[in-house]
Amino acid sequence: MSVIDSDRPAAQASRDRKPPRSARSRGGASGSHIPYILIIPAAVVMIGILGYPLFKLFQMSFQNVNSYMVLFAPAFVRYIGFENFSAVLSDPTLWQSVERTVYLTVEVVALSLLIGMGMALLLNRVSPWVKVIVVTVMMFVWSVPAIVTGTLYRWLFAGQGGIIDYICYLLGGKGMLNHDWFANPTQGLYVVVAACMVWGALPFLVIGLNAAMTQVPKELVEASKIDGASPWQSFRHVVIPVIRPFLILVSALSFIWDFQVFGQIWALRENSPEPGYQTIGIYLYVKGFSSSHYSNSAVISLVMILLMLAVLIFYIRQVIKIGAQD
Amino acid sequence: MATLTFKPKASRSERPANENRWMTGVWNTVALGFAVVMGFPIYWMILTTVKSGKDLLSVNPTFWPTHFSFSSYSTVFSDPNFLPDLENTALITLGSVVLGLAVGFLAAVAVARFNFRGRNFFIVTMLVVQMVPLLSLVIPMYLILVSAGLYDELFGVILAYLVFTIPYVVWTLRSFIVNIPKELDEAAMVDGCTRWGAFFRVVLPLTVPGLITTGVYCWIQAWNEFVIANTMLSSNNKQTSMVWLTGFSASPTHNADYGAQMAGALLVSLPVVILFVIFQKRLASGLTAGAVKG
Repeated sequence: MSVIDSDRPAAQASRDRKPPRSARSRGGASGSHIPYILIIPAAVVMIGILGYPLFKLFQMSFQNVNSYMVLFAPAFVRYIGFENFSAVLSDPTLWQSVERTVYLTVEVVALSLLIGMGMALLLNRVSPWVKVIVVTVMMFVWSVPAIVTGTLYRWLFAGQGGIIDYICYLLGGKGMLNHDWFANPTQGLYVVVAACMVWGALPFLVIGLNAAMTQVPKELVEASKIDGASPWQSFRHVVIPVIRPFLILVSALSFIWDFQVFGQIWALRENSPEPGYQTIGIYLYVKGFSSSHYSNSAVISLVMILLMLAVLIFYIRQVIKIGAQD
Repeated sequence: MATLTFKPKASRSERPANENRWMTGVWNTVALGFAVVMGFPIYWMILTTVKSGKDLLSVNPTFWPTHFSFSSYSTVFSDPNFLPDLENTALITLGSVVLGLAVGFLAAVAVARFNFRGRNFFIVTMLVVQMVPLLSLVIPMYLILVSAGLYDELFGVILAYLVFTIPYVVWTLRSFIVNIPKELDEAAMVDGCTRWGAFFRVVLPLTVPGLITTGVYCWIQAWNEFVIANTMLSSNNKQTSMVWLTGFSASPTHNADYGAQMAGALLVSLPVVILFVIFQKRLASGLTAGAVKG
């Protein structure tokens, strides 16, 4: 992660040097209880708001909890074994929403990484004033909250007065005026929602990848050129290996963000996404709160956690290695 | 051609300088085109807020307003819930940032400066929990807050937000504190400071930049959060701005009033936009330094 840290001011960078390893191992006889006192607040809070809810999630998935039970008849809550699991897992709606989520995630991660990488490369070749303009625009786009992005894109792609329809019309698509982008969920999800997500993801990727690429030693690239490497070859065999840790990090982050997309779709579909727009996160929420089947929703939550962990397991292993190092 | 002076940038030294300049022109054009495409939605949002209702309804939208009108903003400010909800968001955000920083800072000091049993377990846990999707916790959290009597209370939401602020703060501040040389506090202690004196006079001041970066990042996270706020708060005047915006946009009166929707959207994102502009350099490094979640 030093790749990213090193664009800090020089004064700070001088502090970034690793202290000698012995420096940390204090905890001598006098203060062995101090670290435990220091982590108690964090540990207590995290157990209360994360550990207990996770346990409760697990417990609920074997119970028959719904809003009626919670509000009026808590005494009737009981364990029902794997009934919820068989009900939820045999419901094709779940697998359809998983399928949608996977397609959307793959599309958005691939598109945003490709465009982000391309623009990050481009930023190394443009004039300084152009770079300032691009980065400024990126910062503003980056700062737009997800809910606002969704609201904004609903207006851009609106069937009545939407500017995208009008631009399509100006560009020659005569039938595009008053085109309803949301009528067909396939189009709405994989075009509008994807555009909305890629737009929101690009600033971080472009700025981050560009910063990572400036860390690639110039001498390495020059040496590869002298040895006769084409631009593509030196990119593939010199730049990529150097920025690899950062690439892994941003791929994992993009996956995490895109897989649990919620706000953009929620705002785009005005708080009630149609079934065709339900990714797993939306499906979970609608099932839990619109139909109040808390226990079924708990099973969907578990499925979601497991799916994410299954993809992220390699990343987590790497992160643990890094965490154990220092 | 061989006599042409090459630019010092060696990566392009094999090409003649005038071809270089020509290519730079092409790249500049492509990059500016990209900036226009990326910036257009924001331009359109701002433009929509100052267009008059007539302009908004016209079949052929204009790319520049015929005359400016600020009625969209007055529509937003006349909504009775807009200002109370903005205030709630500020309170919730402030509460979760302050609590998260305080609790997280203590734990960060523990893992950065002390070696104790369970330290690695604690660090790894703080990292892995950031990958648990917030959505999957919403239902159990809701039930817990209901039974704790904190449902529809701002404090309940502040507590719930600690679930993403604390791990982030611990993880980011830890790397900050590790980088403060141990010799500094030892020198202070040699000069007569107590351990706590050394902590308050040396470690804390040096951590302030880290506290600011992490605080700003947590602020943005909490300000933009939607799912928890939407679930845990039910009264109209107790919601956050993001929840207000979705409700406002979906309400029958404003559903087609995109001018007011965009004005509302712009106003509720301003606090975050301003922070981004002020802290942009730090955020770019802070976000990637320790985050695994956005």
